[in-house]
Amino acid sequence: MSGKKVLLNNSQPAFSGKRLIFAGLSAGLILFFLLDLFLGSVHIKPAETIRALFNGSDEVTRTIIIHFRLPRAVTAVMAGIALSMSGLQMQTLFRNPMAGPYVLGLSSGAGLGVAFVILGFPSEVSPENIKAAGNWAIAGASWAGAGMVMILIMIISSRVKNIMTLLIIGIMLSSGISAVVSIMQYFSSETMLKTYVVWTMGSLGNLTSGQLIVLALSVLAGLLISLLSVKILNALLLGENYARTLGLNLKSARIIIITGTSILTGTITAFCGPIAFIGIAVPHLVRIMFGTSDHKVLIPATVVTGALIMLASDLISQLPGSDNVLPVNSVTSLIGIPVVMWVIFRNQKTGDIF
Amino acid sequence: MSDIGNILSFRSLKAGYVTGGKHHTVLADAFASACEGELIAVIGRNGAGKSTLLRTIAGIQPLLSGSLIIGGMDIKDYSRGDLSRFVGYISTETVRVGNMRVYDLVAQGRFPYTNWFGTIEADDHDAIMASLTKAGMKSFEDRMLNELSDGERQRAMIAMILAQDAKLMVMDEPTAFLDISNKFGISNLLRELSADRKKTIIFSTHDPGMAISMADRIWLIRDSRVIEGAPEDLVLSGEFSTLFNSSRVIFDPEDGSFRMPSAAGTRVNLKGEGKYRFWTMKALERAGYITDDSDRGLLVEAPSENHPLWKCSSDSGTRTFENIYELIRWLGRKQIIY
Repeated sequence: MSGKKVLLNNSQPAFSGKRLIFAGLSAGLILFFLLDLFLGSVHIKPAETIRALFNGSDEVTRTIIIHFRLPRAVTAVMAGIALSMSGLQMQTLFRNPMAGPYVLGLSSGAGLGVAFVILGFPSEVSPENIKAAGNWAIAGASWAGAGMVMILIMIISSRVKNIMTLLIIGIMLSSGISAVVSIMQYFSSETMLKTYVVWTMGSLGNLTSGQLIVLALSVLAGLLISLLSVKILNALLLGENYARTLGLNLKSARIIIITGTSILTGTITAFCGPIAFIGIAVPHLVRIMFGTSDHKVLIPATVVTGALIMLASDLISQLPGSDNVLPVNSVTSLIGIPVVMWVIFRNQKTGDIF
Repeated sequence: MSDIGNILSFRSLKAGYVTGGKHHTVLADAFASACEGELIAVIGRNGAGKSTLLRTIAGIQPLLSGSLIIGGMDIKDYSRGDLSRFVGYISTETVRVGNMRVYDLVAQGRFPYTNWFGTIEADDHDAIMASLTKAGMKSFEDRMLNELSDGERQRAMIAMILAQDAKLMVMDEPTAFLDISNKFGISNLLRELSADRKKTIIFSTHDPGMAISMADRIWLIRDSRVIEGAPEDLVLSGEFSTLFNSSRVIFDPEDGSFRMPSAAGTRVNLKGEGKYRFWTMKALERAGYITDDSDRGLLVEAPSENHPLWKCSSDSGTRTFENIYELIRWLGRKQIIY
């Protein structure tokens, strides 16, 4: 993997320490993935779980593991990767520690796209009836919605330099979009409304296999685009003027980053609903752990950490050992908000961007 | 001036910025050139267009009209990447990123040469280390950017554009915010670079004294135009006086110094030699006196080997003072009594 190669780069001081952290995170990721399979409202022994994965268990256990827990864990990994990666890219592009897909309204924009598809068509052609095409339609509409908000923020951010102002504008955009969605809801039929409301609750666990395929392909595509932006992101850290005099084509750089973040955020929002604070918090955690601003390190580290934290949030939300399930959004908020608060306080003190 | 040996020249250059489709012209019909290896100081009053000119040369502000030839080719014919191999630029904007090592910053200078992933190859690494050494930052390689002093940060930025391997280095006020020793440190570095490495450096400054003492050529911006020449030529032709003289400051073409304009004050007859005479004269001028050698009026004698004290004689007698401060204080009190 290209990320690994860079971690071995001799120009990184104390690189063995960083490599150790990376190895630890990877091990944690595997552990939490397995825990996510082992634990749930139905008690299944770990050994039984493993056997079920390799077709060696009874029908019921296999169904639970293969059709419920495995897709759920895979979705959590995808969501963690996608949201954290778009958060990282947005923070660097806007040079703003407060940037993230949720706080700046990208999730709302994606939600608007979904609302158009669910509420905008008569129920005979609702996504549920047209199956696969419907999944892509929802995904596409989400990308468009997220992309629109991203472009708006881009235009606004070139006019406001204050870090907190951008945050307020993001909140305004989100509120504005919610207002539009409310109006659309008002004019929708009951069945369409019900479909939409269920969607807004968001969940990692309700994906059909068709949706999972769309999700995986889209996240993979978004991730590839993000990988293309490593060099661009490093240059953008210095600010747009320096990036340009170093030879960066700003226009194509923006297009690459906007496309990547819109696909990543849009896809997750389309199939899992809005998930808060993962995108903004994970990149900061990674910067603290790795002490670098080099995206060759930050990107692989964000991928692993994002997946790990999302799996952990999912585990907590299922309250292992009980029959209750918490909304995953509450868990991610409770994990993310302290990180964001800490970043705000530190920013007041040092004046550094990250 | 001929174009031979010129690394940069512009004719009828119109520069400024565009907002909402409207052109705001800052420089109109400007002409100037730079030869290879020259150190060029851009001076002018606040808002005269120093930054605009430098930004236009660096290609981050559009050329409104006219021609700007860099390395024998019009700037419009350069791609972003090609221009970055030729022109390096440092603005007044400081890079404020935590968790960034000096090495990582300087490595950014290799942007035009690395692959899509930005991999630092062995020759890139060599270029980075050589640039760090040249800028006097070798021992700072692993330091974090936000731990650096202003002077060190400026050196790190210079190392970055050295790693960029650009023949033309454009710097917007490289010595602003620096204390006096860092100011001279950076000035010396710029001189070394233009002398040893055949780099052409164009920098703006608010310090005319620095421009006079170190630049090969000055581009003086006044009334949206550029007046160019050796610093001494501009002093002799009176351009400096025209640019700077006002009710607040006077430029003295005799010695290239600036001073506050003195009101028509009391005449003082000053005697003495060397540095004692010079600094006593400065103090008297500051206090509003005009010094001369005539034998009329108040007589002030600067210390000499025979008597180590300041003496002041008038009709009412002679007084001695241990230092300039006491002399000036006494003169001030005396004036009130009159």
